[in-house]
Parts: sequence; structure tokens; C-alpha cells
Amino acid sequence: MRQRWTGFLFVLPALVHLVLFKFYPMAQAFGLSFFKYDLLSPPTPTGLGNYRALWENPLFHQSLGVSVKYTLGVAVPEWFLALALALLLNRSMPGRGVIRLAYFLPIAMSQIVVALVWKFLYHPYGLVNGLLSLVSIDRVNWLSDEATALPALAAIGVWRGVPLFAVVYLAGLQAIPGEYYEASRIDGAGEWQRFRYITLPLLRPTILFVVVVSLLLAMKFFVNPLVMTEGGPNGSTRVLPYFIYETGFAFFRMGEAAAASVVLFGMAFLFTVVQFRLLRHGVAG
Amino acid sequence: MMRRGRGYALDLLTVAGAVVLLLPYFWMVSSSLKTQDEIFRLPIEWLPPVPQWTNYPTALARFPFGIYFFNSALVAVSVMLCNVFIGSLAAYGLAKFRFPFRELCFRAMLSTLMLPLEILLVPTFLVVRQLGLLDSYGGLILPLAVDAFGIFLMRQYFLDLPDSLIEAARLDGCSEFGIFWRIVVPNSRPALAALAVLSFRENWDQFLWPLVIVSREALKTFPLGLALFEGSFNASYHEMMAAAVVGMIPMMVLFLVFQRAFVRGLTLTGLRE
Repeated sequence: MRQRWTGFLFVLPALVHLVLFKFYPMAQAFGLSFFKYDLLSPPTPTGLGNYRALWENPLFHQSLGVSVKYTLGVAVPEWFLALALALLLNRSMPGRGVIRLAYFLPIAMSQIVVALVWKFLYHPYGLVNGLLSLVSIDRVNWLSDEATALPALAAIGVWRGVPLFAVVYLAGLQAIPGEYYEASRIDGAGEWQRFRYITLPLLRPTILFVVVVSLLLAMKFFVNPLVMTEGGPNGSTRVLPYFIYETGFAFFRMGEAAAASVVLFGMAFLFTVVQFRLLRHGVAG
Repeated sequence: MMRRGRGYALDLLTVAGAVVLLLPYFWMVSSSLKTQDEIFRLPIEWLPPVPQWTNYPTALARFPFGIYFFNSALVAVSVMLCNVFIGSLAAYGLAKFRFPFRELCFRAMLSTLMLPLEILLVPTFLVVRQLGLLDSYGGLILPLAVDAFGIFLMRQYFLDLPDSLIEAARLDGCSEFGIFWRIVVPNSRPALAALAVLSFRENWDQFLWPLVIVSREALKTFPLGLALFEGSFNASYHEMMAAAVVGMIPMMVLFLVFQRAFVRGLTLTGLRE
């Protein structure tokens, strides 16, 4: 009988914490999304008022669109570039250890340092324009032009994400037994055929994992818009989590922010349901 | 001969990629040692003509970075310890015991992976406010203290630990917690190290959460301080880069010392940003 609950006692502290700081806030966000609340006066019920306000708010629609563009603009290039990088790093070459170190070191970098460095690089007189001037391309105001601000931020996301996901791909590649390649070589398969018929199928769980995680990470990220562009110019970089942050902590419309959180959560949920499947089949085995 | 030529081309591509990746950091360090006039000079000057070491003390004197540094370290270490300890306790319970609703507990915990702080920013703020912990170390640390990723990572590791190890200790009359502390923990060092390194990295970098709940100068973290520096009107890039280099150092040291644990952790958990 004692034995029966011992395991539960081990789990209890973590469970209490997650209930208090994950499930309770989530429930509260859901509840609050039906109230008007500005932190000062007590919440007043508005029914679906917050959702209606969002629906009628052009900034919310713009923000949704920006979020979708940013998420895909970061995640999709990551899938391919990270795989390409992992394949490169998996080859034997002189100084491979040092090369890998060079690629993995930036993963440890602080997100705020990255934001500051890139704001400096994208400065009208910064290094990016400096390098472009070498090939006679005119100066671009990367962060203050509506057309270039979001792609500029997405490029940072890709630059930062590729090594991260390459690590995962690399682990997947190294888990493929070498005998498969030996056997196919004896059968006379070419390099492309080996990639297409051995590497890709065996890497499938890793690929799906990378796809889902990269989408989730890109979807929630808003440090760069916050620090580098403040969502501008003209809201062209105001991703959904930033919209929520602004609504809640700049305009103190907590109810509306909560409603927008529920929408964002719905999107995350969609991706995570898929991720769960993957974790159960692939990683958790 | 063809093959070798292609091999060299790919080697070259690999090196070129690394250069593109590291160039911004090189530029950051180089610019941190230039004068204000030199940082935007064309044609590009890759190295400062005369390194301006005084940029560092000047930059660090603009804000109380010593306090920020201490706060970041305190938050990162506290959260890491909580994370590793509470997380591995839970993981051990889930991996090595049977009890009612175990699967449900595990799924519920895993499901919190889709509730990152960015999504729960507003309601978590309200909970911490209800607890009266706004603007305090408790408020900074407590909501971050448990992370389902850690539980997941450790559980995977514990599942592979032989049961006989635990049974033997139990027969010797060891208490249940004693078994965990004296048998399981010492046998799980690689996984614990991986989790510790990842957790430290992530929490050294805390920016949004402190931004939302901290207003007192004495509680601000280093990333928050850097952002303030950036936002201040007399900020100039050479000094900002100097402060950023200082903020980067703990991560670099951590990575170089614990490189293997770090990479192992990334591959085990999927990843954190």
C-alpha cells in the first residue's frame, strides 16, 4: 500500500507546480477572455465581447497574417538548410571537430545579444549594407521599410535556427546503421539513390520532429520584433504574441489579450497534437 | 580525381557556412573595440586600428550591470537547481513506479510543453500578482522552476536504468528517497548534466518574464539591462556591443566547458529557444 503511492509522492512537487503555473493560468486566461479587465477595476463580464473586438480589429487580422508569414518564413528554410548542414557536417573532413564547434557555439548565444547585434548589422550604415555596397547594391533601410522588415527578422530566425536543427538531424543521421550504406554500395546504388532510399526514409521521424518543433518555436517568438522594430513599421512585424503582449501590458486590455492568447494557444495546440504523435512513435519509442 | 575535387568543394562550402554564421559575432567583438567614428566607416574595416579597451568599463558604467549580472546568475542557478531536482524526482516517479493515474500524470505534464510562457504571459502575470510576488526574486524564479522538458528528458534516461540496481538497494533497507539520492542520481550524471546546462542557458537568457514582472532596478536581469541600454537615447553601438560581449561570456564559457553535455541535451530533448 505504501509502495502504491510512493511514486506519486515523487511526482507531486512537479505536478503541483505545473497545475499552479500552467493549467490554472490557462484556465484563467480562458475565463478572463469573457471579461473586460484593466487590472485596476474588478473584471466585468462581456460575453463574447473580447472575441468580437478581436474579430473587428484590423490590427489583429494583420497580426495573424504577419505571424503566419513569419512562422513559415523561418521554419520552412530551416527544414532544408538544417538537413543540408547536417549532411555536410556528417562527412569526414580535416578539422571536423573544430568546424562542428564553430557551428554549435552560436546556439548558446543569448537572444537579446542576437537582437542587438543584428540591429547593428541592419543599420542603414551597418555591415549588411556595407557588404552589399561591395557588389554595388544601394543602401536598404532594412528595419524601417515595410517591405524588408519582416524578411530581415525572418532571416535572423533562420540564421539562428539552422545550427540548432542541424544538431538534431545529425543525431538522426548518426543513428542510421552503417551496414545499410555498405549493402547498398555493394548493390551499386549511387549517392543520390542512397540518400533517397536509405537516408530520407530512416530520417522520417527526425524530419517530422524538426518540422513541428521549428513551427512551434517560430510561432511563439517575439523578442526580435519587440527589441528591434517595436512591431513596426506600420505593424508589419507585429507577430501575434507581440500583439498579445501589447494589448495586455501596454493598453491594459487584459480580457482582450486573454482572448488573443486563447487563439494563439489553439494554433499551438494544433501543432502539438501532431508533435505528440511523433514523440510517441519516434522519440519515445 | 573528380570525386576528390567535389570533396574539396564541399569542405569549402562547410567552412564558408561557418564563416557566415560567425561573422556577426566577429563584427560585434571587433566593433566593441572601435571608436564611435570608426564603427560605420566605409570601406569596411574588419579590425579596429587601435583597440579601444576603455569602451568596456565605459559601457558597463552606464547601467548597474554588476547588479544585472548577479540577478541573471541568481535566477539561472536557482531555476536550474529547482528544475533538475524537482524534474528528476518526478521523472523517477514516472519511470520506476506504478501508481494510479500515472499515465494521466505523464500526459498532463507533457501537454504543458504547448504552454510556453510566451503564450501564458498575461495569465501567469495575473497569478504571480495574486500571490503578491510581483517585483520580487520569488516572482522571477518560481514560475520557471519546473519545466516538462526536463521531466521528459530525465524520464527517458531513468527508463533505461536497470531495476536490479534499485531492488538491491531496497533489499539493503535503503529508504525510497535514499535510493533516489544515493543510487539513482549518481548513476545519471550525464543526463543530469545535460539538463543542467540547457536549463542554465535558457534561464540566463530570461528577458520577457523579467520585463513583465520587474520594475525595480535592483531586480533586473542582464538581458533586460541590455535591452534598456539599447533603448536609452545616448546609446551608441560601440559601447552597446561591448556590453553585449560581456553578456555573451557566461554562455560561451558554459558551452566550451560543457560542450558534450550541451549537445547531448539538445539531441535528447528536441530543443529550446
